[in-house]
Amino acid sequence: MDKKDNEQAAVAEERQMRKTVWEEKGISRRDFMKFCTAMSAALALPVTFAPKIARALDEVQRPTLVWLEFQDCAGNTEALLRSSSPSVAEIILDVLSLDYHETIMAAAGHQAEDALMKTVREQKGKYIAVVEGSIPLKDDGIYCCVGGKSARDLAREVCGNAFATIAVGTCAAYGGIPAAAPNPTGAVGVKDAVPGATVINLPGCPLNPDNLTATVIHFLTFGKLPATDSQGRPLFAYGKRIHDNCERRPHFDAGQYVEQWGDMAHRRGHCLYKMGCKGPETWHNCPIQRYNDKTSWPVGAGHGCVGCSEANFWDTMTPFYKRLPNVPGFGIEYTADQIGAGLAIATAAAFAGHGVISALRRNKDTEGKKEE
Amino acid sequence: MAKIVIDPVTRIEGHLRIEAEVSGSSVADAWSSSTMFRGIERILQGRDPRDAWYFTQRLCGVCTTVHSIASIRSVENALGIRIPPNAELIRNLIMGIQNVQDHVIHFYHLHALDWVDITSALKADPARTAELAASLSDWPLNSPTYFKGVQAKLSAFVSRGRLGPFANAYWGHPAYKLPPEANLMATAHYLEALEWQKDVIRIHAILGSKNPHPQTFLVGGMAIAVDPDSQTALNANKLEEIRLLLGKAREFVEKVYIPDLLAVASFYKEWAGIGGGVGNYLCYGEFPADNSGKPEVLWIPRGIILNRDLSRLHPVEQDKITEYVDHSWYEGKPGTALHPWDGETDYKYTGPKPPYEYLNTDEKYSWVKAPRYADLPMEVGPLARCLVAYASGHKEVKPVVDLVLSKLQVGPEALFSTLGRTAARGIETLVIAQKLPQWLDALVANIKGGDLSIHNNEKWDPDTWPAEAKGFGWHEAPRGSLGHWIRIKDQKIANYQAVVPSTWLASPRDAKGQRGPYEAALQGTPLADPKRPLEILRTVHSFDPCLACAVHLLDPTGNETVKVV
Amino acid sequence: MEKLVAKYVWEWPVRIVHWVNFLSILTLSVTGIYIGWAKTLAHDPSQYVMGWMRFVHFVAGYAFTISVISRICWAFVGNEYANWRTFVPWAFKDGRKNMKETFLFYVFARPRPPHAVGHNAMAGAAYLWVFLLYLVMICTGFALYAQYAPGSLLSRAFGWVYIFGSSQGLRLTHHCVMWLLLAFAIHHVYSAWLMDVKEKDGCMSSIFGGWKSVHEEE
Ligand code: HEM
Ligand code: HEM
Ligand code: SF4
Repeated sequence: MDKKDNEQAAVAEERQMRKTVWEEKGISRRDFMKFCTAMSAALALPVTFAPKIARALDEVQRPTLVWLEFQDCAGNTEALLRSSSPSVAEIILDVLSLDYHETIMAAAGHQAEDALMKTVREQKGKYIAVVEGSIPLKDDGIYCCVGGKSARDLAREVCGNAFATIAVGTCAAYGGIPAAAPNPTGAVGVKDAVPGATVINLPGCPLNPDNLTATVIHFLTFGKLPATDSQGRPLFAYGKRIHDNCERRPHFDAGQYVEQWGDMAHRRGHCLYKMGCKGPETWHNCPIQRYNDKTSWPVGAGHGCVGCSEANFWDTMTPFYKRLPNVPGFGIEYTADQIGAGLAIATAAAFAGHGVISALRRNKDTEGKKEE
Repeated sequence: MAKIVIDPVTRIEGHLRIEAEVSGSSVADAWSSSTMFRGIERILQGRDPRDAWYFTQRLCGVCTTVHSIASIRSVENALGIRIPPNAELIRNLIMGIQNVQDHVIHFYHLHALDWVDITSALKADPARTAELAASLSDWPLNSPTYFKGVQAKLSAFVSRGRLGPFANAYWGHPAYKLPPEANLMATAHYLEALEWQKDVIRIHAILGSKNPHPQTFLVGGMAIAVDPDSQTALNANKLEEIRLLLGKAREFVEKVYIPDLLAVASFYKEWAGIGGGVGNYLCYGEFPADNSGKPEVLWIPRGIILNRDLSRLHPVEQDKITEYVDHSWYEGKPGTALHPWDGETDYKYTGPKPPYEYLNTDEKYSWVKAPRYADLPMEVGPLARCLVAYASGHKEVKPVVDLVLSKLQVGPEALFSTLGRTAARGIETLVIAQKLPQWLDALVANIKGGDLSIHNNEKWDPDTWPAEAKGFGWHEAPRGSLGHWIRIKDQKIANYQAVVPSTWLASPRDAKGQRGPYEAALQGTPLADPKRPLEILRTVHSFDPCLACAVHLLDPTGNETVKVV
Repeated sequence: MEKLVAKYVWEWPVRIVHWVNFLSILTLSVTGIYIGWAKTLAHDPSQYVMGWMRFVHFVAGYAFTISVISRICWAFVGNEYANWRTFVPWAFKDGRKNMKETFLFYVFARPRPPHAVGHNAMAGAAYLWVFLLYLVMICTGFALYAQYAPGSLLSRAFGWVYIFGSSQGLRLTHHCVMWLLLAFAIHHVYSAWLMDVKEKDGCMSSIFGGWKSVHEEE
């Protein structure tokens, strides 16, 4: 189908659906279609899907969503509030019935907990749980309690009874910063805290909210959860490396690198590989999806990628300004190369020494042989 | 006496629990506790000090820049690094817009629902709402049609019976005083602010790659290159975009936020006599005019006010800051407070096993420590900054404070209250929103003069560092005075400690039993209906709690283990 | 009496494998070092320095891999000196004795090495480790390489490598093992030379022509 056909199809679809719940809610059809198109882009679908998404959104009874915060910094909540697609913050509040969210909900205390428990009881197996923050397991979970209950027990109750759980941010997905060595509180991600739960991981520190909306829309449109990689991340958002989509890649291939912050290469947008960029080992759609209304992303702004969508990145991707991690067992000052070069030199020296000794002994041996 | 518990306190960052004893129709005593702990300071030990900002940034996702700023400043202070003027200005822009955006979100999305009854907005007359709004400001969206649209949207939402985040609130509570029209106006602006904030914060994306958690901070400067002739650096195009967004920020603050604040405040004037708290105010000062690192160049001045005495401004001495753990879940010598550089605490939970009903508030009851300045609890935040600036006769702050006081027809003593705190936040937002374009002008002037430097490379390489160094980094975050203290040994972090605004504010009692600011402010709070303690939320929210930051820990004995898997 | 006779020890596949390995390791190390310590050599983006380095690295990587696999096959079909048994001397009585004696020779506790036609036992055991390092390089190398094409055959074939570590962990391993191989190479060339002069067995030239002079005991 060419572009014109797409447009026609969209227009036809649009006419079919006269007044919808959207309009009742005061969201203009134009805004709504714009949103659906943006979503189909985020999901890496052809534009023809926009009407399909629109239909899916229209038909559903707002699915219920509860948002739990555990060992978090609320960064993902804030990210959600910055969603960039048209009126997304508004639409999220409308597309879904957000029954529980500590940071934005009006109720507090018992009234808030009641809202949560009501959903778990009445919508068992139907609602979507979103979890932000890791769950501490050490010492019976005392390091994070909400309403006097431990995060672990809450997660088991709420995620265990959910249709699916979306773990937003690297903490909820893999334990994140609380789980960084030495993991003082025994923090883990949802999948490890609630064995058996259906979990979609949307790591990132914080996640890109477009990916969350896209996941929900994917589910509403296709009626199933998106395909994921071995780490439970949807392929539509985490299917390629940053390095393979990076706008600075031509400079990587050419061999043009930033050597110092603020040098000519830095100003001209050369590759940040030598400043410790972890784009080559990070799977995320940042270069394409970008942040805050597609304004920018870390490498675009001049700082290397730190690999925030990878499990354990706080340990494996640090030091952030060195390309390779430190060698375990050696201090920061010993990089792999110093150790390696040291080893090679030591070997050479040892054998040089060995050679000298054996040369000295040569005559003696030969003499011995002669005697034979 | 009846004890009531609010857990979770919602519309804040993090996990806060308030236990309050009620006598008659007011709060007799209160305990504030944080119920979440992550141990980030412990995690920092043994790591590269240049990485620290990225870790500490995750102390909080709401005030998302502040811990990175304090952290890089502490390392710069330890190593004696001076950053280039461009970097200083870029940081000012980032911090300034953070303040403005954060305060507006706080007012509309976290605090407003304590004063505004959304359900009552349905009864409002859109035409009269428009009249009301027009009488307050010349904001373009003040038409009856606009308010009618908002109301229709709201009623569609309510009529579907699923209130989502607005369910189960204290709607219809007798302490709500606004007429329906004011409620409708505030609700409309609640939605408007939601759109506005994500727009203006794009300044962070331009200068810092993204928000929350911008990623261009560096020890020694910034990673956003400046070059008018490059497509990838900060060029005229991007600077102009920032200017437009700053204009947008200022317009909203002047035409929507401040008028709303004054309108709402005028209905709740009795709150100028409630929720005063400890009466001591601390401000580290912020927005350096140059890179000398001296306190004199700070635009918002540094100082302390004791016992509500605005006639005397005391200097801030770094070594008088200490922390108690007598009522916090850490091990430590009872009755001794330690300076952040020397802290030797070890976390140990001794509270009840979950699920629990009440905490044992006579013993240890929180993950928050109790910081004290010269053994006194201190209130920090917009009110503290405003008071210090006011007392010092600040040429931009003082006139705005006077104007607000005269509009509300109250004297300066009204500032020491829940309402004062909420008003000071607005005053500060306005002053900063008006100041921001000047920093942008200065940046443009520098670039025009040919200065493209954004980073001081001298001490970037750890081999140039001394074997041991210690430093501290201070920053006035939206929520108040924030300090990071660092010790560096052999190019690694030996010790890290953050004393953050919410630690000052949510602090539990100290060894002498002195209450923390929340606890003190809650005493005497009237309660119309103890089952629905809306009034407690008002006072607690007026501090803008941010609990994730408040709880962290340090443990210098821990072995360093960096795992590579 | 003892006399020196010429003996065909290293069959041609063994020799070819050896030299292909030598050349590819040299190439892989040089290009690998550039990948590891990238230097700005290009002056405009139309150049392709890193691109070529990586390309050569990957081609050499393929050559190396094929060569290593061939040698492993040959260990089951080649002559007794190429056989896999020579790489696990400790599993056999003769081998254990030979190992001990060679060790004593290396530490100067014995004037002459024990009698061996193919690899001496110590060398055989060492080569086992070298082959394991080869395999580590191949597995980590291809696992990293496959990242450019997620979901491809290659990435599925090498996906299992990631159970041993994150991509950073694999990169670090790949990087460090290069140093181990370089250290081995230094040792190895020295030993070959030592054998040559000590035993006058033509050890050095044997790897070129295949023939070694062997002391035959009568
Ligand atoms: C003895 C053999 C080899 C040596 C000495 C060697 C050496 C190296 C070195 C030093 C690096 C740089 C690592 C870093 O600092 O990040 C590297 C990277 C790499 N090597 Fe090898 N390598 C060898 C074999 C292979 C093989 C068989 C492959 C398979 C195709 C391979 C694929 C790669 C890849 C994909 C990279 C990463 C390149 C990039 O991300 O740009 N290597 N190698
Ligand atoms: C000037 C360069 C070199 C010379 C003269 C040389 C010589 C030899 C000789 C004489 C042998 C047979 C040793 C024996 O009697 O046990 C041998 C085997 C071997 N060499 Fe080298 N070598 C060279 C370089 C290398 C390098 C750079 C490597 C790898 C890093 C290497 C790896 C091996 C291996 C693995 C074997 C065992 C071969 C097999 O059984 O298939 N060689 N080499
Ligand atoms: S900047 Fe980072 S992601 Fe981009 S090409 Fe360079 S190394 Fe790859």
